[in-house]
Amino acid sequence: MSDRVRHAEAESIRRILLVEDSVRDAELILDALAENHLANGIVHVRDGADALDYLYRRASFEERPEGLPALILLDLKLPKVDGLEVLRQIKGDQSLQAIPVVMMTSSRQEQDLVRSYALGVNAYVVKPMMFQDFVDAVKQVGGFWAVVNEVPEGLRTNEPAR
Amino acid sequence: MAAGPSGTEALQRAILHSATFSCIATDVHGVIKIFNAGAQRMLGYSAMEVVDRLTPADFHERGELVARAQRLRAEFEVPIEQGFDAMVFRAAHGLEDIYELTKIRKDGSRFPAMLSVTALRDAGNAIIGFLFVGTDNTARHEVEAERRLLDQRLRDQQFYTRSLIESNIDALMTIDPRGIITDVNRQTEALTGCTRDELIGAPFRNYFTDSNRASLIIQQVLEAGTVADYELTARNLDGTLTEVSCNASTFHNRERVVQGVFASARDMTAMRRVERTLQESEIQRARDAAHAQELAEVNQELEAFSYSVSHDLRAPLRHIHGYVEMLRRITRDQLPEKATRYLQTITDASVEMGELIDDLLAFSKVGRAEVVASHVELDTLVEEVIARLEMATRDRAIEWRIAHLPRVAGDAALLRQVLANLLDNAVKYTRDRRPAVIEIGCAGEEHGRAILFIRDNGAGFDMTYAHKLFGVFQRLHRAEEFEGTGIGLATVRRVIGRHGGRVWAEGKLGEGATFYFTLALGGAAHE
Repeated sequence: MSDRVRHAEAESIRRILLVEDSVRDAELILDALAENHLANGIVHVRDGADALDYLYRRASFEERPEGLPALILLDLKLPKVDGLEVLRQIKGDQSLQAIPVVMMTSSRQEQDLVRSYALGVNAYVVKPMMFQDFVDAVKQVGGFWAVVNEVPEGLRTNEPAR
Repeated sequence: MAAGPSGTEALQRAILHSATFSCIATDVHGVIKIFNAGAQRMLGYSAMEVVDRLTPADFHERGELVARAQRLRAEFEVPIEQGFDAMVFRAAHGLEDIYELTKIRKDGSRFPAMLSVTALRDAGNAIIGFLFVGTDNTARHEVEAERRLLDQRLRDQQFYTRSLIESNIDALMTIDPRGIITDVNRQTEALTGCTRDELIGAPFRNYFTDSNRASLIIQQVLEAGTVADYELTARNLDGTLTEVSCNASTFHNRERVVQGVFASARDMTAMRRVERTLQESEIQRARDAAHAQELAEVNQELEAFSYSVSHDLRAPLRHIHGYVEMLRRITRDQLPEKATRYLQTITDASVEMGELIDDLLAFSKVGRAEVVASHVELDTLVEEVIARLEMATRDRAIEWRIAHLPRVAGDAALLRQVLANLLDNAVKYTRDRRPAVIEIGCAGEEHGRAILFIRDNGAGFDMTYAHKLFGVFQRLHRAEEFEGTGIGLATVRRVIGRHGGRVWAEGKLGEGATFYFTLALGGAAHE
């Protein structure tokens, strides 16, 4: 128990995979994370295909250090492979399904919510209009899932925090 | 062989006593002198009863004798007695006389008899009496009656057959192998406008627009035995054309020799009309289906459109808002006041547009959403909506006057939008009133629907523009006075409209407004 806590403290900021095609949204999120001292371990990819390549360490991510992110912030509408498909593959793979996935999207369309939950999303956040609300939301999401939330041993990152 | 005088006498006696003929001999005055066995058997009298007592006229129907006397009088133009005289007049004048009369038996029963009357003369040729030889004609009568009956039956049978042909709705014809019409029914007369006499003996082909095709059917029937559904156009004498469908077959005599063609022509006008109607309704159905398909596609496009609006329009707004905010943070206190105000205006404008998008989306959703009807307690709904307005009403002096509201039939989620929009307006437009008075009540019923109203003592409006109130983006106040997107009341009207009700407003500038809407009553509330 105490060992675990120490471990968590040693890597108090675990990596977050941000999948966001909009450069502006990405900048806003990164800014909001920075504001909350959560920005250190961020990996930003811009489409669903890259997100999967990253998770499976293939193509341009073949050389990346081992280990999986503590949290995936996933946009719904993405080029190439869309957010729902990425979600489906993550939750359909035993080696990935324990990674918390938070949908962050502009849409509060009922069908998107329903589909996301059907695929096993851990949380669904509608990006707030107001910047302060946005900062607060990112703080809560990142703070909870990347810091407070406990994950099984195997999911812990081996990659040293930068 | 007994050919002597005694033999002749025996024969004469035998004749006289034959039971088959009645032989009655009278004297010249008609008094019966001989009444043989046959007469006795036929008439039921014994010789004793009639000889020297009766005359043959006594055995006959008086009426028949009167009629006979009249006929003879007309023929010979001499007076003739209607009794015995009438019976023997012709014989007495040397004329052959065999006639039929009705005889009356002793018991009163009657039978038809053939009577042959002969005058009996002496050697000097003077009449000394008369001989009446009679036979019972009953059997022959019966045969005749039977034949008459058979004839009648035959006529009945013919009539029946004819009536079948005549009562047929089709035009029927018989045509001989050369194509000449031999018989027709009335329908054929009607079809061609020609009489039966004109038709019989005329070529079949003459009565159709395409006479070659008409000839062909006869030829085909003669070859194949039958032809079905052969289409021809009959031409009436008056010029009318009728589409007919012909069925024809050959008919034969007992020796199986073809006698001709029996053809029926059915008027297809009604059928064609039905077919055309069917075809038209088929086309209409296809058109409706295409239309429904189009509608579904348009709806789908709308769906996609609003989805895209929801996603893509909101993102840049969030970016505007976010970057302004980030700019403000890094330039904190370094910007001139004017620049700060500009940034604030950009922020306000982006927020406003965000609300506009949300309202528009809600409005378009109302148009597409299915109305899920249930019983809605308006009391409860009003309470909920007012509770949600807490943010806007927290620091306000508002006097709520809420009457008991009926239970209505409708979609709770949609009706919540109606109340939210109307109460939000009431709160907004009474901003300057101390206290603001907002009244919610029921103003009665119309056509089984409750008339509900929400009244306020706020800014009101000019009735001149009342018709503009419920239009999309229609606003009666400047945005600087009262914020708003101009979609709320349009949404209210759409929801109420989809519930089959109506909505209207009364107001006066500076004195407040009352919004009315009607909703179907939802039955008694269960306590």
